Amino acid sequence: MPVTEPAGPRDARDKLALLLSLIPYLLDNASVPVTEVAAAFDVTPKQVRDAVHLIAVSGLPGESHAYLPGDLFDIDWDELEEHDRIALTHTVAIDDTPRLSSREAAALIAGLQYLSSLPEHADRDAMASLMAKLERGTASGAAQVAVAPAALRDTVATIRSAIEQRTQLVFDYVSARGDSERRTVDPLRIESVNDDWYLRGWCHLREAVRTFRLDRIDHLVSTGQPISEHAARVVLPERLFQGSAEDLTVSVDVAAAALPLIADYIPDDATKVQDGDVVHTKVRVAHYHGLKRLVARFAGQVTVTAPQDARDVVAEWARAGSARYDDAEAAAAADA
Amino acid sequence: MSPQKVSVEERLFSLVLTLVATESGLTKSEILSSVQGYNSRYREGGDNSALERQFERDKDDIRELGIPLETVEDPGDRGNNQSLRYRIPKTAYDLPSDITFSPQEMALLRLAATVWREGSLSADSRRAIMKLRTLGVEADDPLVGFAPRVRTREAAFEPFEVALERSAVVNFDYLKPGETEPTKRVVEPLALVQFHGRWLLHGHDRGADAPRTFLLSRVIGRPRVTQLGFTRRGTDYASHAIDELQKIWDRNLAELDVLPGTDAWVRLSKREDTRRTESGHLLVHYSDTALLADELAGYGPEVRVVSPPRLVDAVRQRLRVTFDAHASAVHGGEVDARD
Repeated sequence: MPVTEPAGPRDARDKLALLLSLIPYLLDNASVPVTEVAAAFDVTPKQVRDAVHLIAVSGLPGESHAYLPGDLFDIDWDELEEHDRIALTHTVAIDDTPRLSSREAAALIAGLQYLSSLPEHADRDAMASLMAKLERGTASGAAQVAVAPAALRDTVATIRSAIEQRTQLVFDYVSARGDSERRTVDPLRIESVNDDWYLRGWCHLREAVRTFRLDRIDHLVSTGQPISEHAARVVLPERLFQGSAEDLTVSVDVAAAALPLIADYIPDDATKVQDGDVVHTKVRVAHYHGLKRLVARFAGQVTVTAPQDARDVVAEWARAGSARYDDAEAAAAADA
Repeated sequence: MSPQKVSVEERLFSLVLTLVATESGLTKSEILSSVQGYNSRYREGGDNSALERQFERDKDDIRELGIPLETVEDPGDRGNNQSLRYRIPKTAYDLPSDITFSPQEMALLRLAATVWREGSLSADSRRAIMKLRTLGVEADDPLVGFAPRVRTREAAFEPFEVALERSAVVNFDYLKPGETEPTKRVVEPLALVQFHGRWLLHGHDRGADAPRTFLLSRVIGRPRVTQLGFTRRGTDYASHAIDELQKIWDRNLAELDVLPGTDAWVRLSKREDTRRTESGHLLVHYSDTALLADELAGYGPEVRVVSPPRLVDAVRQRLRVTFDAHASAVHGGEVDARD
């Protein structure tokens, strides 16, 4: 599994949250290695040391407004400098976990709601009490942000347990072309984007890492066979869809408002030229089967401008779609 | 006295400590003249307006972290801005001591937090987990190989979220499906909800003087958060909005003639609540005709809508638009994407 760099505090508010969180944590942990604190808070050791240096010189102005030593936090400096451990020896004003903000609570509550169809969320009373605790952990209530539960099928449970057991899966997979193939896959990760769920894994047929839509998977079987050596070595890239050398790049005009909605298909290095309400740019697709579906879903908002054969494929797709209605009408008229 | 360079977080931290430590509260000039980060720039009896503006912004930053920074009016001197006192009551600052989490709950919360990996809510969930970690509960069973994600890509999301938090009226242009020109909306935002993968704003539309729900993807341009505040009259707007959308979903049913074995067949038959008719057609539920029409148009000839007529028309119209935009050779780049 890939190790991502800890995100770390990004702005002053994040840094303040770290400072305020460190104090109760350090009070509960008499002497703790910097690296352990960094791991606990998902920041770098340097960020921890910087924060502790700041804490050690902070405090209250005091009667004289001179920030005298008794009014400041203090740490065991020898411990820090010689052993890279933190020991808080004096605290002022605060000593407890701060409350959650209304947005912080809302983010967690909405995340819980989204995942509420997972088996481990099945105890509804326990979930309700957990959400109530978050709400109560704020000073002014959670913000009104909610996500409807994702519709999770049994396949998710089967895949998750195969990932944990490190065993193979076999299933029928329908490609965007409409062909169905039996695939043997070493499952690595389940991902989702809103309502769409994906399996990423090592595909034995393609001998490469592939991303599979869960709603295109049929007849899923967990074989119990251990995953292959390939899969054990794979480092999954962050991006769900990776470009490949065989990908096709086509020029498109996109209505500016629709641009974020097709962002996944626009290569990072593609130029975007705004021209009134339209942006001239490029999209990358594995094949024209995928392209025609994408473009037809954004009727009037995404138009292929080049190459001509890509335009022809899209036009034919739309023509064939319309023809089904014309044919049905003709058949109905003939019946009458 | 050379003013030392004090970082923003140091100033905010010093301000929080000072305001927690005071019981009766401090006036603005007491704060600015004594607290680290302001004090070296404070001029006794002079013009401190720049410092005062900074203090206003700092108060907002602190409150955004969920810290209850209170204002207390001097009973003998009401309405005088200079005699207002500021404080952070310790009891309102501390997480109530009876709030604890089990290792299983901690695991659920950490997973819930990972759902937000982009956008402003990812910073919020990261900070929430940071605060909760201080409770010293280790999550059991780290979730391997599971990376669910909710996206907030729509450009309108952040302004709406800000407006929601401030209870501020928001103005925006909204393009209803089937209309060619957007209309201006003035809305009191009440909830942001995601339903079947789409973000919606639920609010009170001042123009219509009625509750309305707006799809964020139909907002044109960037919404403007106004200085106008409003008072919420109820609670639980978000769950009510989702209940309403669910009712619409349950009520709307489309009958589709789908070619078996195709991509459309596989995906539509796995869609939530889909059923099959005796004649082999699929019955699918939906909440918005235009959204379903977009999706179905993408399937081209794999799907023919049988009913309702409104959906038939919407899909045929989309296929026609796509055909017209792609049927001819391009001449000199003269392709109007919104024919």
